[in-house]
Amino acid sequence: MTPSRQPTRQGPANNETSMIKYTIKRLLQSLLTVFIVVTIVFLLLRLMPTDYYFTEDELIKLTDEQKEDKLRAAGLLDPTLTQLGRFYFNLLTKGDLGTSRRISNGQPVLELIGEKFGISMRMGLIALGIALLIGIPMGILQARYKNGIFDHFGTAYTIFINAVPRLVAYSLIYMLGVKVFKLPSMYSVRDPMRTSILPIVCLAVGSIASYALWMRRYMVDDLTKDYIKLAMIKGVSTRDIMFKHVMRNAFVPMAQNLPVTFLLTIGGSLLVESFFAVPGMGPLLTRAITRYDTNVVQALVLLYSGLGILGMFLGDLLMSLFDPRIRLAGKGGETR
Amino acid sequence: MKSKQRALAEGQEQDAVILRYSTEELEAVTGASEAELFSFVEYQPEEAERVGHSEYSYWKSVWKSFLKKKSAVVMLIIFLTVFVFSFIAISPLCTKYSHYSELKSSRSNKFATPDSEYWFGADNIGRDYWYQVWYATRHSVMLAAIVGVGEVLVGVVMGLLWGYVRKLDRIFTEIYNIIYSVPTIIYMTLIALMIGKTFLVMCVSLIAFNWIYTAKSIRNLVFMYRDREYNLASRCLGAKLGTILTKNILPYLISVVILRMALSIPQTIGYETTLAYLGLLDVKEPALGLLLRNSREHFINYPHLLIFPAAIVSLITVTFYLAGNAFSDAADPRNHV
Repeated sequence: MTPSRQPTRQGPANNETSMIKYTIKRLLQSLLTVFIVVTIVFLLLRLMPTDYYFTEDELIKLTDEQKEDKLRAAGLLDPTLTQLGRFYFNLLTKGDLGTSRRISNGQPVLELIGEKFGISMRMGLIALGIALLIGIPMGILQARYKNGIFDHFGTAYTIFINAVPRLVAYSLIYMLGVKVFKLPSMYSVRDPMRTSILPIVCLAVGSIASYALWMRRYMVDDLTKDYIKLAMIKGVSTRDIMFKHVMRNAFVPMAQNLPVTFLLTIGGSLLVESFFAVPGMGPLLTRAITRYDTNVVQALVLLYSGLGILGMFLGDLLMSLFDPRIRLAGKGGETR
Repeated sequence: MKSKQRALAEGQEQDAVILRYSTEELEAVTGASEAELFSFVEYQPEEAERVGHSEYSYWKSVWKSFLKKKSAVVMLIIFLTVFVFSFIAISPLCTKYSHYSELKSSRSNKFATPDSEYWFGADNIGRDYWYQVWYATRHSVMLAAIVGVGEVLVGVVMGLLWGYVRKLDRIFTEIYNIIYSVPTIIYMTLIALMIGKTFLVMCVSLIAFNWIYTAKSIRNLVFMYRDREYNLASRCLGAKLGTILTKNILPYLISVVILRMALSIPQTIGYETTLAYLGLLDVKEPALGLLLRNSREHFINYPHLLIFPAAIVSLITVTFYLAGNAFSDAADPRNHV
């Protein structure tokens, strides 16, 4: 334990109740945010012409009257607010998000999402694991041997990845992978092992850079602090200073983003998945929007915003677990 | 206290004594003419050091420490050259086309590799790639610059208010959550499909969804300075909100503002490529992202389709990334010698 990590003097019982209060308050606030987001998207989607509620076949075959009958039967001609009320009623009482209309006709939205998210999540988690395993040690080594060759090399890498648009980086990886390593260029369900390699590399490349960058920065910041000087004067070995003090303190800010990254692996990456034709969540979203499948869009927005906000909340909790000095509850209650 | 007052009084007496001399007497005592006595002293660094006055100028120091970052300066020069060249490249000096719509597709030139007629080769339907690349470069830089400036302007104003006016904190935090918790691309897709894909719509919607991040970082900084003593004093003396924000707080934020502006350029270009890739950009106004997307199907066999736009995009983004960071380091007075 570092000297600066003394727990706060507040009694444990007191701390716990305020923590529970804080948690409940935050969760309610999060629910409100999700509600606002979903409502906005819902209302935006109602601005579109009603033609988009039919599949292409139906549009050609049905007469205008038939169309209107169908719309009325589905309750799509009701006032927008009634529709909104019904949407929330079905969601809250039955957990029903409606059925997909244009992407795959008549299939419940939840089922559709269920098929896709496994693929995205598997890839995302593998990539996240790789990124953590490479990125964090890379950052640590860069901070340890600051201004060495490895540090310069690592910095060049992070600058390149952060500055150059992802599409360019992916194109280069694609070219390298296909031409030099003879890897398959497109994802295929028949051979998920080999075809997943390139998408996973693309997903990991970006996260490696950001983990290394932040790890290095936090560690370098910490290295100039007074308690490190004291430890050096006392004769603590460099290794112990690095691993027992600096690294542990540097993990604290890193912890905040971990849950949200973890949860959003479910969402998949729009660009990577479209680039390699992976049938995951990313392309589903754009496809749903471009083909005006309103129910799918609503469900996806609900999912993304819910996961994002939950992740932010868990991140704050995790950070306060790592570092007892950070108190989320208590005076003011605002740390963000 | 007493002794201080006495010293003051003595000082006044001495002044009075000096004043009693007439100009003629002064000239007689010092042996110099009046003009010589009341001329300006030239600046001498050694003397200045003794008196404790320095010739320090903030912007001069910023400039000096910026020039020390060789990589950023070199990249900036290359970028400026390329940007200026993009105007020459699509002028009649280098090309026979005068507008993008004049480009013709031709089957015989399909995938022509770079040669003396097609300097950058031709694309999958045989259109001159040289003209497309330079046209797109100009277009992309313009978009990025407009979005960068717009985003930072809106972000700074909103961020100052967000940080300073406590009542607005709730509202702004809610807006932040709404924008942050849903991937921007969802909003962008909805807008592109509902309103349109024109240049103007792109600019406005990119600004509309990115200002909040600038505002957030400005807000956090304003928090640091809001309740310092000098601001309390200003408030007690009745300074208006606008005065406090612009005269007391904004000067502290210059380095951050410039950093945000510089970094938003690579970011905007990144967004643009992603949007282009997802088919949400106007096809009639080519941007570099669009060229990158179009090359996706063919670049394995015709690498020139990827290399030219990719090299220029990377040059632009890396330049602004490096220059932004170098400038914000330079703008921090703690780094001045």
